[in-house]
Amino acid sequence: MSIEQADMLRGVSEGDAVRITALGSRIHVPAGAQLFELGTAAQDVFLIERGRISLTLPMRLGARQEDVMVEERTAGQMVGWSGLIPPHRFTLKASAQLDSDLIVLPRALVLEFFDANPSIGYVVMQNVASIVGARLQVFQAMWLREMQRFVETRSS
Amino acid sequence: MVMFLMVLCMSVFGLAVCGLAFGAATRGLPVGDETPLAAAVDERLAAVPERFFVRDVAPQPAPAARLIPQVPVEVFLAQIERHIRLEQAAAESFLSAPSLESLHGRTVSPLVH
Repeated sequence: MSIEQADMLRGVSEGDAVRITALGSRIHVPAGAQLFELGTAAQDVFLIERGRISLTLPMRLGARQEDVMVEERTAGQMVGWSGLIPPHRFTLKASAQLDSDLIVLPRALVLEFFDANPSIGYVVMQNVASIVGARLQVFQAMWLREMQRFVETRSS
Repeated sequence: MVMFLMVLCMSVFGLAVCGLAFGAATRGLPVGDETPLAAAVDERLAAVPERFFVRDVAPQPAPAARLIPQVPVEVFLAQIERHIRLEQAAAESFLSAPSLESLHGRTVSPLVH
């Protein structure tokens, strides 16, 4: 899969995609290692080149606290869009399920590039809005399903 | 004079009859070491259950609701994650073809049955 096919760079030419990814650096996250923690400052966004990243939320199970996986991201997908969206705090915890390679894109450099190339920035931010909107819609539907079950339980 | 004596005798006789009647009526009651009225009332109150409107057995506190079933946490965690995957799939199915049926369609998750 080529880099311009990544969800964040859809609609961007290959040359521009290479220019954007050149802003960042590549990191390797071994299986089981944490990429970022819930609530911490989000300075970067990440593009997965290889591997699998799980996004989790903490949940209390009895006396224990466990991370419950709520989403998975694989090659070609971005994680950490909180780096581009205020208030720039991660709302989930990210860990590698497999050995993973990622491109780390610092927000400051990305926004500077978008300022210099607004047409590219427009396309990329449309993609980011689509990714954020998709999560919102999925969780909205999940929440409504839970509420429906709650109502059925209470009325039975 | 005779009339006066007659009335006097009748009065004395009536008084005597009343005295005898009173003595006969009160002969059965205990005298001397009888139980005071307050103590008798206390005994009766002690015999009455303390909670008049409830059963004699004190209600036991309701056991805390068990939100975590009696399965290992790892198993329960796996069930939760499977439930989330199924719910996400159902939500995505709804988003691809929005309808009331697809929104509230059942999954095979054991956590909702």
